[in-house]
Amino acid sequence: MASNKKVLLKVIILGDSSVGKTSLMNQYVNRKFSNQYKATIGADFLTKEVTIDDRTVTMQIWDTAGQERFQSLGVAFYRGADCCVLVFDVTAPNTFKSLDSWRDEFLIQAAPREPDNFPFVLLGNKVDLEPRAISAKRAQQWCQSKNDIPYFETSAKEGLNVEQAFLAIAKNALAQQNQTVDLYNEFPDQIKLTNTQRPSNGSDSCAC
Amino acid sequence: MDEEFKDYIDIFSQDGVLLKQAPSSFIPFINAIGTIYIWSTETNDGTRPIKRFLEWKPNDVTIDSDVQDQEWAVVNTVQKRSRTLSGNLPADHYNKLRSLKINFEDIKRVAKKNRDLTFFDGSSEPMCTLLFQHGDCFYFIDLLKTYLSVGPSRRDKNIFIVYDADSPEYQELNKTFAALDIKPNDSSFWTMFKNIKEHPYESSLMAFSKVSTYVYRSVEPGNNDILLNDDLQRSLSEIDDNITHSGGDYELVQKPPQLPKRKEFPRCKPLREEQWKAQFTCDGKLEDVESIKTLIFRGGVSPKIREEVWKFLLDYYPWDSTLAEREALVIAKVQEYYDMKLQWKSFTKAQENNFSDFAQRKSLIEKDVNRTDRNLDFYAGDNNQNLQKLNDILMTYVMYNFDLGYVQGMSDLLSPILMLIGNEPDAFWCFVGFMNKLISNFDIDQAGMKDQLGNLFTLLNFVDPFLAKYLETHDCANMFFCFRWVLVWFKRELKQEDVMRFWEVLWTGYPCQNFHLLVAVAILEHERSELMGNDYGFTEILKHINELSCHLDMDLMLNKAEGIFFQIKEADHLTDQIRFIVGLPLIGNHCTDSHELIHFDSPDCLVSSESHPKCSVDRVSISPDEISFDKSIQSNFL
Ligand SMILES: Nc1nc2c(ncn2[C@@H]2O[C@H](COP(=O)(O)OP(=O)(O)OP(=O)(O)O)[C@@H](O)[C@H]2O)c(=O)[nH]1
Ligand SMILES: [Mg+2]
Repeated sequence: MASNKKVLLKVIILGDSSVGKTSLMNQYVNRKFSNQYKATIGADFLTKEVTIDDRTVTMQIWDTAGQERFQSLGVAFYRGADCCVLVFDVTAPNTFKSLDSWRDEFLIQAAPREPDNFPFVLLGNKVDLEPRAISAKRAQQWCQSKNDIPYFETSAKEGLNVEQAFLAIAKNALAQQNQTVDLYNEFPDQIKLTNTQRPSNGSDSCAC
Repeated sequence: MDEEFKDYIDIFSQDGVLLKQAPSSFIPFINAIGTIYIWSTETNDGTRPIKRFLEWKPNDVTIDSDVQDQEWAVVNTVQKRSRTLSGNLPADHYNKLRSLKINFEDIKRVAKKNRDLTFFDGSSEPMCTLLFQHGDCFYFIDLLKTYLSVGPSRRDKNIFIVYDADSPEYQELNKTFAALDIKPNDSSFWTMFKNIKEHPYESSLMAFSKVSTYVYRSVEPGNNDILLNDDLQRSLSEIDDNITHSGGDYELVQKPPQLPKRKEFPRCKPLREEQWKAQFTCDGKLEDVESIKTLIFRGGVSPKIREEVWKFLLDYYPWDSTLAEREALVIAKVQEYYDMKLQWKSFTKAQENNFSDFAQRKSLIEKDVNRTDRNLDFYAGDNNQNLQKLNDILMTYVMYNFDLGYVQGMSDLLSPILMLIGNEPDAFWCFVGFMNKLISNFDIDQAGMKDQLGNLFTLLNFVDPFLAKYLETHDCANMFFCFRWVLVWFKRELKQEDVMRFWEVLWTGYPCQNFHLLVAVAILEHERSELMGNDYGFTEILKHINELSCHLDMDLMLNKAEGIFFQIKEADHLTDQIRFIVGLPLIGNHCTDSHELIHFDSPDCLVSSESHPKCSVDRVSISPDEISFDKSIQSNFL
């Protein structure tokens, strides 16, 4: 594939209301945190250029409303995603419990070609807050059970680990897209991405 | 892929395609959702003849076939997951076994009906029917047309015949388009226009939606493209001559029926204190409610009297109440509020733990209160008392209407009310009044929002069919990008002062029901050249609409929206569907005696219609609200 071709990566952020999806997206794209963000109604996205292995790609990051009632709207935006970011709040156990249904719903609605290999990334947000309700270990176990989803512990407020997490997200999205393009073009000698090439599980630096 | 097709490459794919009809071996896949591909041997070497085929593959995960309207379906994840098609077989294996392939050479006819495409070989039996769930099959057809010599059938423009490239029919078809000698120009608009030659029917509709921007409406004078107007006009009339009339039986362009000319409705000054005070009788009853409402509709309310006026507008104070009645009412309502507040305030921790529905709502409210208008001084800073009030009113509303509880967006609706009416019980009852007006926005299954967005599209289609068609062909007919507008009545789009003005204008219920949808139509129409001229798709439209936030000229939009209402009302081709949305009486054929059409809600109207029978005859097709509205407009402008 020509490396000068413009690449657009579509990334969807999902998770319960108030886990910090909007804050994470803004921290990553605009490098700032504000407690004046409003609850998301409908959907919006921000774009950011990133360089991955000397390639400049544009990430289109979609933020939708987390409240259950609006989920039926969100699904309109899932299509064509290259990576799905799941977010929970490490201080709110219910937001962790919802992860399965977010993931399942995404797979059903976005209907990716290879659901088992579709890249997800999990973010445990608000690690700056006490008390914690979900340990890193518990989150990692969940990730392992889901075909080794990469896990990062973040704080949108302090900007902790956000950059690293989104870089991994971009890489996974790009790998996904390349893989899809491979399928399209049937290039037999292209590198097929496997799980080992993703950032390994628990590569996040946050000590817990 | 199968071995025999290993030289093929995938040049197109589209997901969300449902198999509706197919040969018997595919019966297990009827109603399954899959992806459609076009495979081609097309390579750069050009030595072999190019072969192409079409393939439909089921997804390995399927969704209940009765859930047609997928985007709005309330999806029960767990259930659906267990219904995978693949069973014990790996998905890939299953897919390979089961994919429907059609050789391009075999396609002789394609019929389009709504979102369905049916493929025929020479026989009368269809090869298969595919339903494009996510909107139009426009791109797909367009692509077919680039590979096959396709033209619309003379009998039915929705049937595409595959012509032999050198058949007389196809030649003739091409000739008609050759009449358009258009200057080459690389702008997307011109490319589009040129495309008409190559892809007759569907893209022409698209192109004409653009042409209309330039020809019929001539937006933004000074723009380069305007200079080309003459050429376009000529080309258009040539198309008209060559195709619509003399060229064939099928119609290429249907000019939509024209609406009456739009009138201007400049905004007026807000209702002043003196005007308001002068309306009260000595026992504190409002004399002429309708003319007060008209004044409010025309210009809003002066901030000085706003608090009191809102209590009427939000049905806290009955319009026909005396001062004494209101005083008694307030005493009772304040008590009622505190009773309800006490109910949740006195929950013990144990009760709450055993009442997860309640606990969930409580935590949701807490989270949203912290994110509501914190940029405004009134709600800024930590430990702000007003945040506490916001919280308490929303919590009390949960007790008042537990079935609804709390849904995001509600804190947005309460915030301006509380800013104006600092007193908790009064603000609560006004909030209740507001919620009653748009409670269906918060339906658990979103049915109310779905209806409204659907109605918005219907209205837009009536007022600006070109733009509606454009949105439709760009996967936007669901109007999702207007979701926020409709859910909280433009709260997020307007500045705080404007929100208050806008809402009080809308609360009057003038000039018609669902006026906020006409405001939405006005804004979309205002943006049409941006949206269509830039050839925006779903993503760009959403972004563009979101970025209008805080840049809307509210007065201009209200002015336009009112103009649109009168255009609709006076249109010759006004349909019952539109009448229903804006609340005009229906003219279904069962009504022989137009006199009976008038339905009077309030006793006031009844009296007036009896004492002036002529008036009711004159205005047979106008609702009582309008009668008074028209009347008061006259009294105001004459
Ligand atoms: N302490 C702390 N607070 C955070 C962090 N991230 C977000 N918040 C706060 O959590 C609340 C919710 O954040 P949002 O970013 O609006 O949450 P969301 O997931 O977008 O929520 P919805 O739009 O309702 O789906 C806000 O009050 C944020 O200020 C974090 O890392 N640390
Ligand atoms: Mg958000």
